[in-house]
Amino acid sequence: MTGIASHTVRPGHAGLTAALGLLILLLIWETGARALSDSYILAAPSEVLVWLRDNRGLMARALTQTLTNAAMGFAAGNLAAIALAGVALVWPGAQRTIMGLALLVFCLPLVATGPILRVLLGPGNGPQIWLAALAVYYTTLIPLLVGLRAAPSVWLDLIRSYGRGRGAELIYVRARAALPYLFAGLQIATPAAFLGAMVGEFTGAERGMGVLTTRFIRAMDVPAVWALASVAAAVSILAYAAIGWLAKAVLRDKPPIILALPPARSAHGTRDALLVCVLALLLWWGLMQGLGLSRFFAKRPGDVFDALFLAPDAAETRMVLLDALIQTIIYVVPGYLAGLALGAGLAVLLILAPALAAVAMPVAVALRSVPIVTTAPLIVLALGRGALGTTTLVAIMVFFPSFVACLHGLRQAPGQIMDVFDSYAAGPISRLIHVRIPAMLPAFFAAARMSVPAAILAVTVIEWLATGRGIGSLMALSASLSDYDMLWASVVAVALLSVLCHAAVAMLERRVLRVFAAEQAVT
Amino acid sequence: MAAEQPFGDPPPQITCAGLSKSFAGGMQVLAPLDLTIAAGRTTALVGPSGCGKSTLLRLIAGLAEPSAGSIGIGGVSPAQMRRSGAISMAFQDPSLLPWRTVRSNIALAQKLVRQPADPAAVDHLIDLVGLTGFGDTRPAALSGGMRQRAAIARALITRPRLLLLDEPFGAVDELTRRQLAQELPRLWEPQGTTTLLVTHSVDEAVLLADRVLVLSPRPARVVADIAITLPRPREPLVIHRAEFRELAAEISAALAEGAGQPPSQAAE
Repeated sequence: MTGIASHTVRPGHAGLTAALGLLILLLIWETGARALSDSYILAAPSEVLVWLRDNRGLMARALTQTLTNAAMGFAAGNLAAIALAGVALVWPGAQRTIMGLALLVFCLPLVATGPILRVLLGPGNGPQIWLAALAVYYTTLIPLLVGLRAAPSVWLDLIRSYGRGRGAELIYVRARAALPYLFAGLQIATPAAFLGAMVGEFTGAERGMGVLTTRFIRAMDVPAVWALASVAAAVSILAYAAIGWLAKAVLRDKPPIILALPPARSAHGTRDALLVCVLALLLWWGLMQGLGLSRFFAKRPGDVFDALFLAPDAAETRMVLLDALIQTIIYVVPGYLAGLALGAGLAVLLILAPALAAVAMPVAVALRSVPIVTTAPLIVLALGRGALGTTTLVAIMVFFPSFVACLHGLRQAPGQIMDVFDSYAAGPISRLIHVRIPAMLPAFFAAARMSVPAAILAVTVIEWLATGRGIGSLMALSASLSDYDMLWASVVAVALLSVLCHAAVAMLERRVLRVFAAEQAVT
Repeated sequence: MAAEQPFGDPPPQITCAGLSKSFAGGMQVLAPLDLTIAAGRTTALVGPSGCGKSTLLRLIAGLAEPSAGSIGIGGVSPAQMRRSGAISMAFQDPSLLPWRTVRSNIALAQKLVRQPADPAAVDHLIDLVGLTGFGDTRPAALSGGMRQRAAIARALITRPRLLLLDEPFGAVDELTRRQLAQELPRLWEPQGTTTLLVTHSVDEAVLLADRVLVLSPRPARVVADIAITLPRPREPLVIHRAEFRELAAEISAALAEGAGQPPSQAAE
């Protein structure tokens, strides 16, 4: 192999370089904090440590609570993902519908489902666990579906040639072949579960790190806010690393960096989408009816339609909703595009300077596992409650997954083609343009697609917690005013927006990949 | 070992009647084919790449359905034969499961056909295919040829009544290939196995088979049916004998003729 591979650090050195990267990060942080010591923005690592020492009892209780909720949600969400993947395997015809519904549910804004679950489930840990489960099941389901179909068909032929059927295929081949994919999904799910639990706690729990976060933001206790975010980050990184370690022990290989399934083009795209919509409406209605929930807060599809189109104040409701939605779009689009561009740009830069990549990569992978949204309060502290803070948070949310995916994609450049370029003594720029960037495109688009719900989650959380604008704020306001018509209408609007953006990126992806990566595009 | 415990039922005869196969899009891979493959003998199918040899093997294994015609194996359908666990197939790709060691890949076949585990037989086969000392190695650490030998051992461990070999020596080096070609028939002959070997190596066909069927380019039909009368066991050096070369030349000529080339060109 050429290029970066020859510079890749050996396993023994990887930990060392990562530690070095972390140390540099801490130093920059400490210096920055000392420089800005009077501005109530940044708490230095030393201050964070002091705060943690002084408040260790409080912190330990909150952490235990949040971890318990996250772990329960993690288990529930991943079991649901495994069950859904199982249904898709047994009944392949249902896979599109399952994926469509799963995406739609994943696109429900946690910010609104939180308060709704709070009303439905009452006080206690229910909403936190549910939100953690909702935050993880999709990121496990997608790699698992890929993994269960990843086994070469000849392995399945082998099983069949000995006269055995689908059961034996699953036991001896598919289940084991899917394990690396499952672990990759579980790894991504760990920070997501923590994030879900914290968002659940934002919605009015009694204890937990989310509760402390909202309390200290109101009190402008800068070291406390930084301490909470640092602990959330550290716990997530450790959990992420623990799953990685477990995977290594079980598989004897590192889990692969899995990119989402490239969406297959369907001959019946419109029909499938309609089916998903109808099923989603039926499921929604059936759930509310089946549980016998009060129409006052548990709105049915018909109620939302009434509120938006038939009620006397329908025009005004639509207006308010549309206004908020447009405001959110204005914030989320630049952040989303900036995050993608920065991620891809930095990855390209690091490919040209491989020595730098050895230091930056472990740090980026570690930071990718930070539940970014839990750092929302910090960004508000640092950049204010305006457009800059919001855009920055969205950009950061999108940046890390795209950076890691792009770097991975750039390294996927086929060795033999690189050898051909080497034999013509082609320079690094020429190799980059002709080989590496085309090889990166599938990874780039997979990240772009998966970042859509993440970006919308980020923008709604920050609007809700801080800026007081846009759809996130509207949802918070509606929840506190018990305006459940508006709340449910917002949920529908945000979910639709996410799904439509997701579909738009997927469409662009298919067009580009058909040209640049024909063998990787699923047609 | 296998030789001392012959399988209960006798090896089956294979009868193909009007067998044809087309793929979606109308590409015909097999022309209507009538064929009888003798029980307990080794038959080699030789033909140019892409002529449908592997498809024929998959049809006989019951892994694909014919578009028309029928296949009988010892009086039952391929699917029934397959479900009885009496078939073993070695694929072009060794298709060893990467998370299992060589030993456990071989043992898996026994488990799949619900035979009692027989570690001694597994180890014996590992020695026989020249993988002594690699029983606990995973496929990733083996060379291509070693993987194929492990796959052959896996195909033999169940003492199949019907053994289907799809170019099993593709990645095996020349020396080992000759060695295996000498050793392997000793394994499957005494236990009474009907063996069907797909290959594009003329020498391999002559060395291993009792009968060679030469197929034309797609859609495949039989252009020559040549009996190989060389005595067994066949030593590796047999390939230099005049009778051997004559048979090989006859097959090469039939191949060239089937492909529409004058035989003189094929002899080169």
